[in-house]
Amino acid sequence: MAMNTTDTTHIFTDDASGLRSEEMILNMGPQHPSTHGVLRLVLVLDGETVMQCTPVMGYLHRGMEKILENRPYLAGPRYLDNADYLCPMINEVAYAGAVEKIMGVEPPPRAQYIRLIAMELQRIASHLVAVGTYGLDVGATTPVLWCFRDREGILDLFESLSGHRFTHNYMRPGGVVYDLPSGWLGQLQTWIDAFEKRSLPELETLLDGNEIFIARTRGVGVIDKEQALSYALTGPVARASGMDFDIRVQRPEGAYREIAVRSVVRTEGDCYARYRVRLDEMYESVRLVRAAVDRLPGGPISLRSPIALRPPRGEAYYAVESGRGEESIYMISDGSEYPYRVKIRAPSFGNLQILPELLRGNKIGDVIAILGSIDIVLGDVDR
Amino acid sequence: MDIAEKPLLVAFDRDHLATLVSQLDVVDAVVGAPVAKQIMNGGIVGIEVPAAKLLEVATMLRDKVGFEMLTCVTGVDFVDHVQSLYHLRGIAQNWLLQVRVRLDADEPVVDSLYGIYPSANWLEREQYDLVGITYRGHPDLRRIMLDDDFEGHPLRRDFRMTPLTLHDRATTQVSAGRAIAGEQQEGQERGAPKRLGQGSQERLHPGKQTFGSAAVYLSTGQGVVEPTQKKPGKKK
Repeated sequence: MAMNTTDTTHIFTDDASGLRSEEMILNMGPQHPSTHGVLRLVLVLDGETVMQCTPVMGYLHRGMEKILENRPYLAGPRYLDNADYLCPMINEVAYAGAVEKIMGVEPPPRAQYIRLIAMELQRIASHLVAVGTYGLDVGATTPVLWCFRDREGILDLFESLSGHRFTHNYMRPGGVVYDLPSGWLGQLQTWIDAFEKRSLPELETLLDGNEIFIARTRGVGVIDKEQALSYALTGPVARASGMDFDIRVQRPEGAYREIAVRSVVRTEGDCYARYRVRLDEMYESVRLVRAAVDRLPGGPISLRSPIALRPPRGEAYYAVESGRGEESIYMISDGSEYPYRVKIRAPSFGNLQILPELLRGNKIGDVIAILGSIDIVLGDVDR
Repeated sequence: MDIAEKPLLVAFDRDHLATLVSQLDVVDAVVGAPVAKQIMNGGIVGIEVPAAKLLEVATMLRDKVGFEMLTCVTGVDFVDHVQSLYHLRGIAQNWLLQVRVRLDADEPVVDSLYGIYPSANWLEREQYDLVGITYRGHPDLRRIMLDDDFEGHPLRRDFRMTPLTLHDRATTQVSAGRAIAGEQQEGQERGAPKRLGQGSQERLHPGKQTFGSAAVYLSTGQGVVEPTQKKPGKKK
């Protein structure tokens, strides 16, 4: 949450005509609807051009890594729900997977498939929020309502699956907590049919046919592949810049080893490409959910694990593809009931880092469009 | 090399890892001694390099071996020493490497990788903030998550989760009779974690003196019980 004293020597500049112009410092946030959370951007403006941008974060820092060091292993996934609150299911898998890696066990096949279904539904829900609110940011008001309506269906499915709409606490080291309730697959089928046949094409038409939306996103905030690599961008942001990197493809885990993912890659690197990658990934997620439901095996949903789980000494780095990029957990176990160290590699934190470079030289009107296209979740940035 | 002995959880291509291990031989030349390459669970190779050679090794890994991306920087406090861990990805070859550097526990200082990987900027700042590792040559080494005036580094093992407060005023958590009598109560520090998160307790941390800390009581004289007056366990 640190903010250095801004160097004021460059504030006053003399142009050729001898007129003095003054640069202005604008604080955007932390309470600002377009920062998608409590992010503060300190912008140094020259007229309408952004000269310098300093993101200030930490308003939502909850010391999650310290908390996790003081919680038993089975209590861990619950805290990951609050890290990236739009992708709780995926974060839980990251934590559970790291514990499984240390223990050298694998969940039963049925649990792996249920995990895949939950993760892909969560990805759709996350992308719906990203696309919907992004439309709102750049002047398309209707999509957000439709997106949240569709997301409601996923939250209902999750509620009947885990008992909670947001903080599910559904994954656990060794498998999942509950089996699918009776009739759940039928419910899922109904929702996914309607979503694929009606909602998703409608959403696509609504945004792609919106001239304002296209004008504000095409060619704005271009990230090239070298930048994406050097800033360690992951997820849709990186894939929109031509970087073919998807954890589900590169290092598949669980059921992803049996159901191949087709990664969506575009090369333009602008805001429109980032939106488009998310939209196409929703189609892909729908296909993955259908494939997983078709092949869903029977059997147990979890390994038998003691309440006081004591993994052996060791370390593990487990990565999953979250809605925003590589979410990974680096965990060290000292053989006790509590993890020795849990490091959460947050995709939003990594992706936000390019923002100052991306905004430099852009007009202030594009700040919202660029920030929204990176799709950050401040709970994930601050942890 | 224990590839053959330990079955890998992920059926990661054995040749794939063997290629990486053979490519990593260039690191030996830079370090000047053979570096142990550990195959970790999940298709990760781990190496440990001396802190003095980190910059050279990282440059070599990026330029010669093809690790284009610094994904994650982790600081771990092992009490007798501190480790700084780097996870590097080679996108084209689909490699993942873990580089470990051992640092002094009292003064953990290591060269910053910012010049080689720009993504190290915030990643290192976060570890500086939370673990207290100083990254030499970092352009902007400031706290990133916590307040500027926060003292201490929360992810150090010696960081106290519970504030050192003397609850010598009447509260609902202590025996009312004893509190009114102004007696020092025993075992208060042990009871503190349960009350964390309630009201002002939430804001307490050992670094900064805030309202409610013992130091504030002692400086303002509010509700002070002289430490010399009372003997623990002795009733007045």
